[in-house]
Amino acid sequence: MSAPPVLVVSRCVSCHGRFLPRKGNCPRCGSAEVEPHEVLARGEVLAATELALAPPGWPSPHRIAFVEAPEGVRLFAVVPGALPAVGAVVSLSRDGDHYVVLPVPEPRR
Amino acid sequence: MGSAHVTASAVGRVGKRPEGLLDLLTEVGLRALEGVGRRPIDLLVVGTMVGGSLAGVESVTAATAERLGLDPARGYRIEAASATGAAAFHVASSEVMSGRSKRALVVAGEKMTGLPTEEVTRVLARSLHPTEQAVGATMPALAAIVAQRYMTRHEVDPAAFDAVTVLARQAARGNPNAQFPTPVSREEVSQSRWIAPPLKLLHCSAISDGAAAVVVEEGSGEATVLGLGQGFDAFALMDRNELTSFRATRLAAQRAYEMAGITRKEVQFAELHDAFAPFALVDLEDIGMCGAGEAGKWFLEGATSPEGRFPVNPSGGLLGRGHPVGATGLIGIAEVARQLTGEAGPLALPKLPNVGVAQSIGGLASHNFVTILGRGTGERA
Repeated sequence: MSAPPVLVVSRCVSCHGRFLPRKGNCPRCGSAEVEPHEVLARGEVLAATELALAPPGWPSPHRIAFVEAPEGVRLFAVVPGALPAVGAVVSLSRDGDHYVVLPVPEPRR
Repeated sequence: MGSAHVTASAVGRVGKRPEGLLDLLTEVGLRALEGVGRRPIDLLVVGTMVGGSLAGVESVTAATAERLGLDPARGYRIEAASATGAAAFHVASSEVMSGRSKRALVVAGEKMTGLPTEEVTRVLARSLHPTEQAVGATMPALAAIVAQRYMTRHEVDPAAFDAVTVLARQAARGNPNAQFPTPVSREEVSQSRWIAPPLKLLHCSAISDGAAAVVVEEGSGEATVLGLGQGFDAFALMDRNELTSFRATRLAAQRAYEMAGITRKEVQFAELHDAFAPFALVDLEDIGMCGAGEAGKWFLEGATSPEGRFPVNPSGGLLGRGHPVGATGLIGIAEVARQLTGEAGPLALPKLPNVGVAQSIGGLASHNFVTILGRGTGERA
């Protein structure tokens, strides 16, 4: 069996906070010392919405979800399919400069 | 520390205006200067959030000084996203309180209707974190996420959002400068088209042109600056501990109350930043007027109407007045000052208040401002 997909996030060496990699220092403590860290590429949908009028460059309607991945890593992701319910567990993958939500293939439990 | 007073103010008509940004700034600037008999000012503070991108105006401070015929000792352009007008006022008030300036003119404005809505939305979205821009998030999209978290956490009746808009539009009816002076019913709000669930069109403030100007000076005046507070939160929503309350407002309020030496109980009304209807609920809770999740009830039960126990947005708020982004924060402050000096005309609250608050949100609540003004020279019984 292949290893489950992971997200490469950042881990702060100083405060141990985990967060989405970005330019700049740790958003929690300001430390410049961050290292790559892997978490499972899935998370719980905290909120999701659908923009009736998509911003330029995206098809209408445009859907985005606010997701909490393992270890408290939160991120926004594009939803290509139907809008997931709040509390739904979804898989995440990276697509260029952003993340995408994929529906979990089979219902949990 | 010295005192600072609002001695004149002018708010221009908000809406789709044929004039350019400098014209809008000049109109209100001249009116405010006339309000103090054209006595000289030594400081000019100009606020515009996106004057370069949307109005094509650069070097706005020098251009405004020239148009107003001023020769100030100092002048600055201030920017704090959608709280720009409030930030400009804070800079001027701080200079006056420190004794560096004797009389300052604050002018803030925005020209937004010159470009297509799509382009305006794109420019405004640039004030979001890069990771949010990367997923195609816009201000309404993130406001919808905040609203949804708020609803999930507090099990709030969605009709409370509708009630915010109804109240705003009702108040705006008496405001000659308002973009939307026509009342709407709760049904009209809830049946307006989707923007981003749970937000409907009438829950969202519009794209507007507009400007305001205020003279701040030392000595004495009918409206006194009691408290100035600002606070920051993580720039990106994903880095915040919570989305259902804005830390930046809570910190700003705490600091403003502390500076004023008062508690929330002494505040009698507020102009809040309701760029999106759910924000009015969050704002009311963040300035300490009620507990988390309780504000919806206040709006539904009329506690925030002009006759209620704590009037909110008697001038119509952003939903009723319109939202020229760089001007909004200063318009709110000017409207609070007018209530205190008895110059609010048809917008006047039933009882002349002693203390009012103006709250302003910068960006998606990454840097917010709270301003407390008091009636009279600041000596409270």
